[in-house]
Amino acid sequence: MHRILSGRYLPFALSLIAGVALWELAGRNTSAAFMVPFSETMLRLWELAASGALAVQFLDSATLFITGFALALLIGMPFGLLLARLQSLRIALEPYIMVLYATPMVALIPFILSMMGFGFAPKVLVVFLFAIFPILYNTIEGARSIKPELIEVAQSFRSNEWALWREVIVPYTLPFTMTGVRQAVGRGLVGMVAAEFFLSSTGLGQAIMMSSQNFDTSAVFALILVIGLLGVGLMRLGLTIENRFARWRD
Amino acid sequence: MVAVSTREKLKPMVNSGNNAIRIRVRGLGKRYGALEVFRGIDLEAGDHEIVAIVGPSGCGKTTLLRCIDGLLAVDSGEVVVDSERVTSPIAGVAMVFQHFGLFPWKTVYDNVAYGLRMAGISRAEITRRVPHFINLVGLKGFEKAFPYQMSGGMQQRCGLARALAIEPRVLLMDEPFAAVDAQTREILQFELLRIWEQRPTTMLFVTHSIEEAVLMGDRVVVLKGRPSNIHETIAIDLPRPRTRDTLREPRFGELRERVWGTLMSEARQAEFQLGA
Ligand SMILES: Nc1ncnc2c1ncn2[C@@H]1O[C@H](COP(=O)(O)OP(=O)(O)O)[C@@H](O)[C@H]1O
Ligand SMILES: [Mg+2]
Repeated sequence: MHRILSGRYLPFALSLIAGVALWELAGRNTSAAFMVPFSETMLRLWELAASGALAVQFLDSATLFITGFALALLIGMPFGLLLARLQSLRIALEPYIMVLYATPMVALIPFILSMMGFGFAPKVLVVFLFAIFPILYNTIEGARSIKPELIEVAQSFRSNEWALWREVIVPYTLPFTMTGVRQAVGRGLVGMVAAEFFLSSTGLGQAIMMSSQNFDTSAVFALILVIGLLGVGLMRLGLTIENRFARWRD
Repeated sequence: MVAVSTREKLKPMVNSGNNAIRIRVRGLGKRYGALEVFRGIDLEAGDHEIVAIVGPSGCGKTTLLRCIDGLLAVDSGEVVVDSERVTSPIAGVAMVFQHFGLFPWKTVYDNVAYGLRMAGISRAEITRRVPHFINLVGLKGFEKAFPYQMSGGMQQRCGLARALAIEPRVLLMDEPFAAVDAQTREILQFELLRIWEQRPTTMLFVTHSIEEAVLMGDRVVVLKGRPSNIHETIAIDLPRPRTRDTLREPRFGELRERVWGTLMSEARQAEFQLGA
């Protein structure tokens, strides 16, 4: 009991209770068109879940997110390592990467829409574009920061190029890539919702749009809550993976 | 003459190292762009011989070792190890680095296993050898530790084990104990001597400590000048095995003074300090 009181659980629980109470109060004192109380949101969430509609939308969004995100990782990491090792290619491509990294990706959606229409592929492209740059950027910066002395140690022990990547460059870079992955989770989720807003007839994002147009505010809140919790879960997962790969860093 | 045990009689009191030449460096020259580091270096090391190389910092000791290890291309001259001309790192030569050079993401065990894996040694042999060399350097119990969890002295023990594990013919030591505190350094010096007695190899031992050079070396090579060159080679006729007692022998003091004198014979070598 003492440990719970002195630990982080008490402030955490109190804050949650206060937040929910505030939400409830605010919801009860504003027009239902703007905001609904916590209790009503929960009720609507339960309805959506019970009807099976939520599961379908969730699965749809998850498929989109995982596909786009996996592509971002599978392309971003090897490409980042390659750019770190091939200086001239990096110098040539760096300005484009910087510009794309800095550009709010939402601005590209109309262009993607006009190029590719409403299928699954353009949505995946949006998630991919949102997610790849933190992964790519962190991988390049990480791989470049490796000490030349360690490369020299590998050479002294007669490492071949493949073993150099396997034993030195990749393990050194992984924690940096994972930092990028964690950042990319947040961006990827934004990409997922944005893609579903503009390019979709399915998914959680589209469900939010539909509910909003139907003035179903409690559904809007319920869906936002689902996405928010999904984001928190994914961030935590990313942090766990990052720490697992960064065990050797003090 | 003091009595010596039969075991010690079997080998020469003074290690002359004149049997087979293991390392032969001829006319070696190296420059970094406009900076000529050294020129016309001639150096030989025999089987089981320890050649200590002293010189002020910046005189090119590390560069010389990197050339001998085949990590750096030379501009003139050649390096031959066991009649093999060195142009890239060759098998059977291992280096111990001043900065330890441990892979921070690998445990002690995996760091020691690294050289063996690169050498294509069988898995069974690796699992046999790694614990042996971890014990030899006194790191038993730290197999699973990461470098950041260990002191500098322990990290260099690990670096030493990694080099020894490939059972090299030639060991290249680049100021291996320069980055650890004085007390640890002394302990490590005598441990290295003990290990070397058990399994002597040819060793080039680079240091900027005169005492350390005299303690370790069968010969001390003095590198100085800009571009640097071998100024003098001093034979160290101290008996082996060398122990803490060696430090108290009058002959040790004489030799230390000789190396000191050689290094100081030109005025501006002020950055030098005496002491191991
Ligand atoms: N990669 C390099 N590029 C240019 N100059 C270097 C490089 N490495 C070392 N030097 C220079 O070469 C000289 C010799 O360096 P080094 O071999 O490290 O000396 P030491 O090991 O004796 O201290 C120094 O002046 C150093 O600044
Ligand atoms: Mg040096």
